[in-house]
Amino acid sequence: MSQKGSDKFKYGLLKAIDVSGFKVFDPVVRLIFAEEPRKQIQDIAKYMLLPIIFCLVCFFMWDIIGPRHKTKSGEVPSPGKVLEAAKDATRFKQREGEKEAAFVAEGKDREALLADSKKKLTEFEEKTAELQELSAAAAKSGQNKIDASLNPIKEKYDTLKAKYKTAQTERKEAISTLADQFANKQASKDELIAAMEEDSLQKESEKEELKVLSQQLDDIRANPPKEIKEAQLAANKAADEVQHYKKVIDILTTGNREVKKNALLEKAEKAEAALTVATTGAEAQKQAKAVVSNKDKAGKADEQKFPKAATIYWQTYRSLATVFVGFLIAVLVAVPVGIMCGLNRIVMACLTPIISIFRPVSPVVWLLIFQIIVGAFFPDPDKHWLFQTMNESKLLPGFIHNLQVNPAMIFSACTVAMCALWPALVNTALGVSSIDKDHLNVAKVLRLGFWSRLFKIIIPASLPLVFAGLRISLGVGWMVLIAAEALSSSDGLGKYVWDEYQNGSSQSFANIILACFVVGIIGFFLDRIMIMLQKLVSFDDGSATA
Amino acid sequence: MSFLEIKQANVGFGPVSNRTEVLSDINLKVEENEFVAVIGFSGAGKSTLMNLLAGLQRPDQGSVTVKGQLVKEPGPHLGLMFQNYSLLPWLSVFENIELAVKTVFPKLSKSERRENIMHYIDMVKLTPAAEKKPHELSGGMRQRASLARTLSLQPEVLLLDEPLSALDALTRSELQDQILNIWEKDKRTVVMITNDVDEAVLMADRIIPLTIGPQATLAEEFRVNMERPRDRHTLNDHPEFMRLKAEITSFMMGLNKESKANANSSSTSMPDIKPKDFSLPSARLDFRNRKAKPSGSRSVA
Ligand SMILES: Nc1ncnc2c1ncn2[C@@H]1O[C@H](COP(=O)(O)OP(=O)(O)O)[C@@H](O)[C@H]1O
Ligand SMILES: [Mg+2]
Repeated sequence: MSQKGSDKFKYGLLKAIDVSGFKVFDPVVRLIFAEEPRKQIQDIAKYMLLPIIFCLVCFFMWDIIGPRHKTKSGEVPSPGKVLEAAKDATRFKQREGEKEAAFVAEGKDREALLADSKKKLTEFEEKTAELQELSAAAAKSGQNKIDASLNPIKEKYDTLKAKYKTAQTERKEAISTLADQFANKQASKDELIAAMEEDSLQKESEKEELKVLSQQLDDIRANPPKEIKEAQLAANKAADEVQHYKKVIDILTTGNREVKKNALLEKAEKAEAALTVATTGAEAQKQAKAVVSNKDKAGKADEQKFPKAATIYWQTYRSLATVFVGFLIAVLVAVPVGIMCGLNRIVMACLTPIISIFRPVSPVVWLLIFQIIVGAFFPDPDKHWLFQTMNESKLLPGFIHNLQVNPAMIFSACTVAMCALWPALVNTALGVSSIDKDHLNVAKVLRLGFWSRLFKIIIPASLPLVFAGLRISLGVGWMVLIAAEALSSSDGLGKYVWDEYQNGSSQSFANIILACFVVGIIGFFLDRIMIMLQKLVSFDDGSATA
Repeated sequence: MSFLEIKQANVGFGPVSNRTEVLSDINLKVEENEFVAVIGFSGAGKSTLMNLLAGLQRPDQGSVTVKGQLVKEPGPHLGLMFQNYSLLPWLSVFENIELAVKTVFPKLSKSERRENIMHYIDMVKLTPAAEKKPHELSGGMRQRASLARTLSLQPEVLLLDEPLSALDALTRSELQDQILNIWEKDKRTVVMITNDVDEAVLMADRIIPLTIGPQATLAEEFRVNMERPRDRHTLNDHPEFMRLKAEITSFMMGLNKESKANANSSSTSMPDIKPKDFSLPSARLDFRNRKAKPSGSRSVA
């Protein structure tokens, strides 16, 4: 009996991994249930181990080849650097969170936080001092190493330079005597020119040689030994933490919401006290005004939000939300229109020119068009009701406020919708128009009304193709969105990449590659989700899925 | 006036420049509660004829009437059982029938409806597979599900397009009995298409051959004057059965020969197939034929 139960579980699990598109794990599950272990191990070796090894080889080659290519923004980062960038990005997010917590903390919490931060600050200060010492030591010992490789070249450079200098002056003198001889008709014109030519050639080659040497010197100086760099990096990181906790303490003591509010209330009280003893009318009026304005400000202080810096996490969240909105718009337009096209050949004929002309238009063009159009709707975005509700309304949950909806998000979503529309539309139209005639005959015999026919026959029958279209649409939408964000500086992963590119710090390149992986992995999961949905709606045993 | 009537109907397909006349000059009268079988070769236009009766296909000329009323569009009173089942693949057997029952009898309460559906599923012995999707069923099971759906419409006319062609011999004879049972209990006008002479003779009151297309038309009918209920076990000893069978078989073979001759003269080549057992109409030869190709009725006997 238990045997049967575990079998049921096994097949359930196998079906689940099949539907979710992770068929690679099939042999693993079977192996766990001890089904033909030999075959499963072979399958695992062939379809899991080999791909993993292949990926590792790729990473290994990247690790070797990447750093050899020097670019204007530093060398191409190795996988380790990218991983480091990911860790830094996470720490950055944590720091922003800590700062925000410091901003909103009240009463006892604030005090506890302050004590904690102070403790951490001293901790990191000690650590920084320690690390800086280590770094200095490393620099010192490293300097010897540098000198060891630097000095012979330097010596060679110096001697060569001195030698060439004397050679040059000698040649110069020889030429001037030759010129004098020419003036006295003792030498020919050709002789003088030849000497001149010889001199210039020599000069050129000497210069070249010196340049090569000085390049070598520069290279050595620019690339200090790894230990020095690492020690310095560790010290810098600790120093960063020190900076961070100083900032947190600063927020806790002066920038904190409650602190600010209390200060304002205090001011109001003082003004009130002054008001009671005021003697002149003008004085009374001034104090009364101060009472009102300070109380008013104190009331508003409560609603203030901490201006968090954009982290890659937030940018990812925002990109996902934007692509979701855009995709939703695309679906809401494409599916009904596609159904109409599929049902009615006249509608199809009317829309064909529009589809044919607009489908090949580049996303960039749509982006600019929507930027202009959407911009016109919101002349003063901060005061517009839509953004006020989306970003401030108490009815909406925090994660929506967090999105910071603005016109840029809307036109990015519109661009996504415009580009994602076509595959969904075309596939829906195809799905509806290619419904099995027999199924329509069933509807006729049953005399189904238009709506029943639509919802009971036409839509279910065309769902597999519709979802195939939606899957393509979502993929297109995600690609377009990242490009649109980069181009229009609309917040999201695209903007993150663009900002990093413009920023050009030593970490930027690694951050860009990190973003590349984030975009890729999210795209992969979006596709998987669509495949899953597609498999769930397909009724002919999965054979309809591509 | 007959219950169901086709008068001088023509049906053709394709554009004017390249038109194939599939049916021409079809005349058919079916009385109320009569069981008529139409027999013909595949591709002759049997399904087209069925669509004509069901209102899925309008005749180019002529008319189709039921109870004197012109058939203009299909409807549940003309219960067509499709040759290729036409079950909706995203619905289970139960849901397929439910869709039909819900549409045709919207006033039934939920429990009544359920009972009704289960009754028909039971009738075709599909109860264990009620929750299965069509792709999980065998061809025969699908055909039975399709029959149950058609019956659930409680149509005035049952139009069965090769209802038993995908069934194995055993199931086939069982379902033949079932259809006959249903028909006898609950008298209904039935037009059934088949390509099995035994089946036609066993079940029908009249058998009407459809000549080979293009321009197929209905030939002279054969009346089956055998008392009901007909017992399939003793049928082979029934002289009338043997006579009719031999006659119809020879008639059909004659049609085949004729069409082949036509085909040869009109240069379109046809595969040279000539079933030798059918070449001579006689009880003796038919006896040999029976051994060579046992049909459902006899394999039970
Ligand atoms: N919708 C259609 N369009 C064109 N030709 C058709 C159509 N339906 C049937 N036909 C043609 O009519 C002939 C008869 O078909 P059908 O009635 O299905 O034959 P049967 O059911 O007897 O096997 C065939 O040659 C077929 O090609
Ligand atoms: Mg047919």
